[in-house]
Amino acid sequence: MTDPIQPPPEFPKGHRPQVFSEPAIDQLYDGYVILGTELAVAFDRIDTLERLLQERLGVTLAEIDGYKPNEAVDAERQARRAELAQRLLRPFREFRDDRITRGSRKG
Amino acid sequence: MKGFKQHALLPTPQHDEQARQDFVGALRGHLSGRVMPGNYQLFERRVAPRFAAEHGRPPGEEQEIRDWMTREPYYQFWSALQRRSQELLWESVIDPTEREWSELIQRARGGKSTKASKRGSLRLNPSLTVPRYHAAADIHLQPGGYHTDFTSDDIAAGAIYDKGINLYMGGALGSENDLMGNTLLAYLRERHPSHQPKRILDLGCAIGNSTVVWARAFPKAEVHGIDIGAPVLRYAHARAEALGAAVHFSQQNAEGTDFADESFDLVISHIVLHETSKSALVRILAECRRLLKPGGLMLHLEIPRGRTPIEKFMHNWESYNNNETFSRYMTRIDLPAEARKAGFAADEISLEEFVPKMDVAQMNYTQHFFWKILVGHKHGAA
Repeated sequence: MTDPIQPPPEFPKGHRPQVFSEPAIDQLYDGYVILGTELAVAFDRIDTLERLLQERLGVTLAEIDGYKPNEAVDAERQARRAELAQRLLRPFREFRDDRITRGSRKG
Repeated sequence: MKGFKQHALLPTPQHDEQARQDFVGALRGHLSGRVMPGNYQLFERRVAPRFAAEHGRPPGEEQEIRDWMTREPYYQFWSALQRRSQELLWESVIDPTEREWSELIQRARGGKSTKASKRGSLRLNPSLTVPRYHAAADIHLQPGGYHTDFTSDDIAAGAIYDKGINLYMGGALGSENDLMGNTLLAYLRERHPSHQPKRILDLGCAIGNSTVVWARAFPKAEVHGIDIGAPVLRYAHARAEALGAAVHFSQQNAEGTDFADESFDLVISHIVLHETSKSALVRILAECRRLLKPGGLMLHLEIPRGRTPIEKFMHNWESYNNNETFSRYMTRIDLPAEARKAGFAADEISLEEFVPKMDVAQMNYTQHFFWKILVGHKHGAA
């Protein structure tokens, strides 16, 4: 048996450099790289799925390219897009809540 | 990463974890191969001419270059992405390690193998104080550094480091991260072909990726590796056993070990000195001299810190942004002079530039690559 494992720290100990004069730009760059990474992960996963579909089920790439979602599928996709937009814009909501809506608190 | 040897102590990434690691590798390869060189062009075509127009002379000191370059948007762009890619690298390796953590510890504990079947050994010292140059900041941004135990018998720092440095160098460190060991071994064979060590000590060995090279090259020699980090040493021991190499690992500070005077004919380190401190460096070199038999050799492999001011500035990115806090001082240090302070005679010490005949990876920040080797040859019969 293994003893309980402490979670490792999320961030390394030590000086965190600030590259740009405005710290928000550093954070934006960080978000940009993370998005790129997750996009690469999603592309690889889609590629895996497409290859498995072709190999195991005979689904062709032309069928995938020509796929038209019906209304129900489209509604599900709309909901997912809205959720993604909500997640992506979290920092801006936070900014709005802290600095604008409750502006009196932090000035 | 292609060509990296998967062994029993490494976690097996799942689909998305693998994709994340592959992307980090691709991003870093693009940054170092395509984006980083633009900083040299930026300096030559824009920064240096403007500086000269304002001051009537070219920028001389690294600090002058720093003041000007860090204000340039292109440099800022590269620097921000380079830093983030380094943090992403560790995240991508930590995820699968966390998932298999308990299993990896079980495997490292030895499973079915018995003490008698082991080739090497492991000796830990829980009362050892981790020196400030390791404890103050996590070197290379690996969260928790190389010394933190997150549970008993922990090996995670070692597993994370093993895969992490493979990604860090885009796979260029070789299938067993053995490039540095192979480079120093090539130096010994090219420049000191008659030296046949019977006892070898590798300082700051971490996961023993270089130590194993020496154990295989000199199978009759007794090979020791020391480090201050317990989790990397537990991992090193299990890894060496899995790879069939006989190495004796112990948790010790290279500034003062418990080995007897004149007990080694070869004392080595692989890009370790720049992770220490000014005072520790002299103590480590003095310890090397104490441990060497008469006629013995000390070899410290170091990465060059640049020939020109702009190269020095680019190298020192690591110091300011990647928690290599001492490396910026290494740029200015006269290593042979430090070795003389540590007790070596002037004619026992040399600093050599070395490019092995084998293929060597291009490091990230330099235009002209070569290794530096601090060589100490203790007087006396070989």
